[in-house]
Amino acid sequence: MRRRSRFSPDLPGRLDRRDFLKIGGATGLGLWLGNRSLSALAQQPSAPPPRPKTNIEDALRVPRTKYSLPGFFPGRVVEVQDAAAVQDDKPVSRVVYRMVEKGLGGLTKKSGKDSCGLFFSRDDVVGIKVNPVGPGTISTHLDVVDALIDWLVAGGLIRKNIIIWDRFDFMLRDAGFTPERYPGVGIEGLQTMDEAAAMGKTQDNSHWLKPDGTHVSVGNFDLEAYYWADVEAPKDNAYLNQHVFNGKNSYFGSLLTKRLTKIINVPVFKNTGNGISMATKNLGYGAVCNTNRLHAPLFFDVNTEVMAFPAIRDKLVLNVTDALRGQYDGGPEYEAKFAYWLNTLYFATDPFALDMVCHQAIVAKRKAMGVKVNEHPKFTEYLRYAERLGLGVVAPDKLQHIRA
Amino acid sequence: MKKPTLLGILVCLVSSLGVSQTAVFPERLASGWAKEGRPSEFQGGNLFNYIDGGAEIFLEFGFDRLLVQDYKKGNSEIVLELFEMESPESALGIYLMKCGTETPVEGVPARNSGDKTQFTIVKGPAFIHINNLDAGASLLPAMVELARSVLDTIPQGRPVKLLEGLPSESRITGSERLIRGPYALQSIFTLGEGDILGLEGKIFALAADYRDQEGEPSARILAGYPDEARAAAVFQNLVTRLDPYLKIIEKRDRKFIFTDFRGRIGTVERNGARLEIRLNLAVRPSVSPL
Repeated sequence: MRRRSRFSPDLPGRLDRRDFLKIGGATGLGLWLGNRSLSALAQQPSAPPPRPKTNIEDALRVPRTKYSLPGFFPGRVVEVQDAAAVQDDKPVSRVVYRMVEKGLGGLTKKSGKDSCGLFFSRDDVVGIKVNPVGPGTISTHLDVVDALIDWLVAGGLIRKNIIIWDRFDFMLRDAGFTPERYPGVGIEGLQTMDEAAAMGKTQDNSHWLKPDGTHVSVGNFDLEAYYWADVEAPKDNAYLNQHVFNGKNSYFGSLLTKRLTKIINVPVFKNTGNGISMATKNLGYGAVCNTNRLHAPLFFDVNTEVMAFPAIRDKLVLNVTDALRGQYDGGPEYEAKFAYWLNTLYFATDPFALDMVCHQAIVAKRKAMGVKVNEHPKFTEYLRYAERLGLGVVAPDKLQHIRA
Repeated sequence: MKKPTLLGILVCLVSSLGVSQTAVFPERLASGWAKEGRPSEFQGGNLFNYIDGGAEIFLEFGFDRLLVQDYKKGNSEIVLELFEMESPESALGIYLMKCGTETPVEGVPARNSGDKTQFTIVKGPAFIHINNLDAGASLLPAMVELARSVLDTIPQGRPVKLLEGLPSESRITGSERLIRGPYALQSIFTLGEGDILGLEGKIFALAADYRDQEGEPSARILAGYPDEARAAAVFQNLVTRLDPYLKIIEKRDRKFIFTDFRGRIGTVERNGARLEIRLNLAVRPSVSPL
């Protein structure tokens, strides 16, 4: 069954979730329109809290490699658009293949095998990180992944060394990333989650909670590799079901730290409020667990800091933003009426440059569609932060936006 | 221009209509669609368990309960989401945030915007989404049938008159918004962190876009407070905690002018118990009298 998924690591909870769970009982009748759901919010001081400490310094101490971000082409973003990419609301595979070939050629100035050889060797284990959050609409298209797999195989890689992955196993299934559809290729979610329990349809937690009180997916995360932030997480079962851990560590999936040697990131093209949820958020909130606690105090900075760790920084060699279809408003939720066909793919080794280009593109679309747009610099500050950390190139005078 | 009696409009009583006590989800539609299982229910802060990350704006506007009901016919599926908001004002507030440029669907007997993929509807204190998970146009008649069936059981309730507080001259139709806290405000402009307007989850501020004489768009926010002292405190809060990207270039007792990060002009002015904020002005307003 295809679902409208509501559970996603890239859905931001900008206020502390616990604040909203402390619901008061006052009905608020009187002169003002009372809001019993908002009693906690009303008590918030107007002054912002200080930014929580993180272990970003640990990441920065690790020596870089030749593959480290921003990769071989800092600041370069190649856009390929083809009006024939979609017919009758479905991608046309042969056109998508042509677009992938064109995009990779535009990015690397090499063709076919040569472009593949630039990033990969035959014994690499390559993880393709997709975003399956809105099956059938805003989800990485299978056709794009097909084209990338064929490119890898043509370049000499072995199918069994290619793994399509996301944080949630059930989302991969819902979006069509199944062993039947991809024979010989690995399909892995970093974790499972019991949707029925999360939806309150059952009180039976045995599908995700072990008798010792830990999540069944704990073993899928590397307890030696984590993003630490001085932010508490909610201690309820609903949070644990979705996030596996609820301490101050957000652990990287063992898949990334121990098995994958290279990563291709294939996000979708959509907004999240005034910002975007594309290349950097797909990994920033998709490669580690226990993320919802981070939205309120750190939000987009998590994208930058998580990607500064070697598990991503030194393995992510290519990003392809699937903008065949996009969503210009209503995000982070899936809102079908704001989805539209762009017939576009973006290519970059530098995910921060890529997100800067795509941010500008979606702002232009939002304006064109009459959406109120808040262009405050804070919604792209994390990209400039990445540049200061040496992870990307986003300054306007250094960005190369190439339309191939 | 006629001065709006803002506070008089903003100050009104809540009548909790209890949508679900009257709303009825049909077991089966004439076209053969039928309920699939029982509805999922989410109350108050548990909304996070359904839309983790998207719940804040609902809570800010005043959310009571969500019912989610699947309908199936063959392999096709439609999902009905009925959000019971605290009041018709709350429901309208969330609707204006979510509807986009309104494209009413013919045959849906309430204010709505939608297409073959999704309907967004408001009626009384109810905010409704009807989602077509197959995204094909063939389900449109069933979506309309479902909408009509449910809406027939929801009372219209009292009319919402809040937006009448916005001056109508030069207002851009469809740009109207309600604001009840930082999430709704952020979609328009960043004046500062937290509840910078001191709405405290109780006061509805009004916002809309306007065109100046040259046709340039600018935005206006109006907030009415229970008394002058409260309005003065919010004014002072804005002065001291204004977003660092905004620079005050002139200030008097009851008004200040600032530039934003694009060099556009904004003003904040207190008049009695109300604040009027203008944003994105192309030209600096006359300084006298401030």
